[in-house]
Amino acid sequence: MLENNRKLFPYILILPAALVMIGVVFYPFIYNVVLSFSNMSLRNFREWQIIGLDQYYKVFFEPSEPSFYTIFLKTMIWTVANVTFHVVIGVMLAMMLNRQIKGKSVFRTLLILPWAIPQYIVALTWRGMFNYEYGSINLIITKYLGLPAVEWLRSPTEAFLAVILTNIWLGFPFMMVIALGGLQSISHEFYEAADIDGASAWQKFKNITIPLLRPVMIPAITLGIIWTFNNINVIWLVTNGGEPADQTHILVSYVYRAAFGLYRYGYAAALSMVIFFILLIFSLTFMKKTQATKAAY
Amino acid sequence: MRNKAYFKKQMADAVAYLVLIIFAVIAVYPVLQVLSISLRPGDRLLSTSLAIIPEDATFAAYKELFTGRPFLLWMRNSILISFVVTATGVILAALAGYAFSRFKFRGKNFGLLSLLVTQMFPATMLLLPMYIMLVKVGLINTFLGVIIIYSSTALPFCIWTMKGYYDTIPASLEEAARIDGCTQFAAFYKVVIPLAAPALVIVALFSFMTAWAEYVVAAQVLQDTGLWTLPVGLQTFQANMSTEWGLYAAASLIVSIPVVVLFLALSKFLISGLTLGSVKG
Amino acid sequence: MKKNIFLISVFAITTFFGCTKDDRMHIRIWHQMRVEERVVMERQLARFMESRPEIRVEMLYKETEQLRNDFVIAAYARQGPEIVYGPSDMIGLLATLDVIRPLEQYFDEDYLGHFHETAKVWYEGHLYQLADKLGNHLALVYNKDIVAEPPETTDELIEIGKKVTVDRTGSGRIDQYGLVWNYTEPFFYVPFLAGFGGWVMDEAQERPTLNTDANVRALNFIQELRDVHRIVPREADYEIADALFKEGRAGMIINGDWSWGGYISAGLNIGVAPIPRVSETGLWASPMVSTKGFSINENIDDDKLTVVLEIIMFLNEPDNHLEATREVKTFPTRIETYDHPVVTEDPILINSKRQIDVGKPMPIVPELRAIWDSMRPHYQMVLNGRKSAEDAARDMQLLAERKIIEMLE
Repeated sequence: MLENNRKLFPYILILPAALVMIGVVFYPFIYNVVLSFSNMSLRNFREWQIIGLDQYYKVFFEPSEPSFYTIFLKTMIWTVANVTFHVVIGVMLAMMLNRQIKGKSVFRTLLILPWAIPQYIVALTWRGMFNYEYGSINLIITKYLGLPAVEWLRSPTEAFLAVILTNIWLGFPFMMVIALGGLQSISHEFYEAADIDGASAWQKFKNITIPLLRPVMIPAITLGIIWTFNNINVIWLVTNGGEPADQTHILVSYVYRAAFGLYRYGYAAALSMVIFFILLIFSLTFMKKTQATKAAY
Repeated sequence: MRNKAYFKKQMADAVAYLVLIIFAVIAVYPVLQVLSISLRPGDRLLSTSLAIIPEDATFAAYKELFTGRPFLLWMRNSILISFVVTATGVILAALAGYAFSRFKFRGKNFGLLSLLVTQMFPATMLLLPMYIMLVKVGLINTFLGVIIIYSSTALPFCIWTMKGYYDTIPASLEEAARIDGCTQFAAFYKVVIPLAAPALVIVALFSFMTAWAEYVVAAQVLQDTGLWTLPVGLQTFQANMSTEWGLYAAASLIVSIPVVVLFLALSKFLISGLTLGSVKG
Repeated sequence: MKKNIFLISVFAITTFFGCTKDDRMHIRIWHQMRVEERVVMERQLARFMESRPEIRVEMLYKETEQLRNDFVIAAYARQGPEIVYGPSDMIGLLATLDVIRPLEQYFDEDYLGHFHETAKVWYEGHLYQLADKLGNHLALVYNKDIVAEPPETTDELIEIGKKVTVDRTGSGRIDQYGLVWNYTEPFFYVPFLAGFGGWVMDEAQERPTLNTDANVRALNFIQELRDVHRIVPREADYEIADALFKEGRAGMIINGDWSWGGYISAGLNIGVAPIPRVSETGLWASPMVSTKGFSINENIDDDKLTVVLEIIMFLNEPDNHLEATREVKTFPTRIETYDHPVVTEDPILINSKRQIDVGKPMPIVPELRAIWDSMRPHYQMVLNGRKSAEDAARDMQLLAERKIIEMLE
């Protein structure tokens, strides 16, 4: 009886969540797999047929400007840059907020604002701040730093940088909150013991903070990477849909364009599947490397 | 010796203040711009002036928001949906995360990975099948429809976070409780849950934000204006090339207040001294 | 805490998921009207519902792009609003996707005879939209405090532009520009393409016509306005142009009829004029002219159809057209209204009409979407100095041809 219970108990705990997930996600996922083998498009919208692997072939070999591989590279840069800064800034701020200093709660409140405010309007505000003549960023650069003004939104590289900056701003509070929670699981005694041994701040950070923060941060980082990879909103708003000259797209912008611009549903579904497999392979590797499913103790 | 240590702490505090101040300024400045837009008459998103309080500042947008538009109705709907999603997310994730952290069972790794897998598909493409599905089960134009979808969006992160946090809590604590005569569930409920408060806060905030800020699904599913949530309502201020920026900005600021309030209220549990630090060891 | 959450959930479920019975027939209109237009139609619908208490009509706003996407998805699932109200350029797409109904079977010729020709939007032999507003077009708007008389030709435009582009403080930064507009967007470029004798697609509306001498000259012209004559800002998108004009820091702006009311209520003393003739060719710079109006969902029930037709006819009564014209300065489509003082005596409407008369109808075929997407990147490369106008014209054409093939796969 008890043995039986012990085996069933985890399934009972998981069941409610599993029902919700399967209920919502299963059907759309299968639907898309089917669509990716179909010719659903403007001309074959209601009566589409299964046509095999054509759409996949198009994803990799259909000429497009910029090419699939260029955009893939940009997507990687976009993802790595964003998540790295989110985590570094988030953890750093969390550690400072974890110190015994005055006014902590004020800082905490102010620092969470980028997460709290609706993205749409701040993204456009950032676009304004990047304006060549009137934006405050150029004003600071020229007036206070004495550097030449930057054409943020007119040159591809700078525009891409501008979007990344905006997204870093939007995303660091989230990682900060998680790190703040994670830091609570670390006993003071560890640090006190390290102090007695005469460990430096860096040694304490490396040997105590990082390993104990890991179990909480790894899931956030993994999902952060997945979300950022597929995050179209900020890019779309700040660059006004890929400007200049379609140079600031990431893979998922092409899914959006194909599906809602040209109504190439089959193609968009195939591209989505490709994105899906890229992320799947990445996650499997990442989880193996970080041992994310294993417990800390 | 003592002086040196004291000096070191002072220095470290000074650096911490400096960094916090710099980042606080960076965090707040764009928000002040939004404030500025909300005070600007004539629906101007941008201005060539850098003044935060415009010369011709007016509260007209705020007044219009509360008297001329069903803003409070949207707020009520949003709060309702967000709270249900938060409760669902916290409870289901607290349970499932515990199973993933503490038990060895068949399909565990597969289950954990499946949760991640659900996040990998571009949301754009899920819209059409999700809509068809909701039509089939009769949940179009209901709160329940969006609540279920939001919960499924929030759950993978919530479960993973809970699992990660439980992993940092030594299992010996529950074993001690069980020796004292607690059932398995009681040990979880009485010993583990209180210790996992910071993670519960993270999960609650995240679930809340998932529901609070979401627009695309809500706009597609909720078709009665009486059911609209804040993000959908805000969208009515926005028209192709003639957005009511004043209203939009004012509403955006007000929309962020509940999030900040919730965060402040939960902060107590996020960083209280009463956590592992004092129990462990 | 837990208990509270539980109670809240129970409360939520019982209070809000229960259905309240409403016996009235429910008609939905999805639209993308800006607020001023919305208010007028809501008022008119309120009058309609007063006379027909058994019917409830509800308007639902969605942003243009969202409106199209949401409607397509809903209609694909055999759902969606009974009426979709929007710009005519979405008609080709919706008709091809089979999500809206042909209307010629419901409105007889007699009735349709009361409408301006452009208001009846035909596509592949069927009538798919009946419009109540004509225009949605760009025109030249000038701030009378800065520019007394609007330019008639592009030479005058440049001359006036240079005169009013000034650096008052001598700071090296321009304080007031001659002309501002969202010139990086192809829709805002097209008037000049037409002015140099070109157009986006051929008469049959099948093939793009972008690799032309006219396109090259027009591309160079825009670049010269900025780099040689320096009467437009180096960087301007819609919002920057709008802000500069509203702040009185620009003499002229090229913007659509949707924006004019906002300039007046912002306290500007504005005039509207046609975008000038291109001096080189003597041709008018012709903006695209389209319509906004009503289409019917393919999936509509028969019993609702009669009511929907009634609503459309009600909203298209001449008095209702005039009401909208008076308040939001859009051009009506009922020809009975054309000699009414509301239309004939308002200076803005008179000039709006002049612009409409020299404008060109916006193509409604879905291919236009592919053309916009092909023009945008290469046009912006010209503006960035990364491509010559000749190369850009050629590349636009190639890209557009390819995208159209992809689209029609």
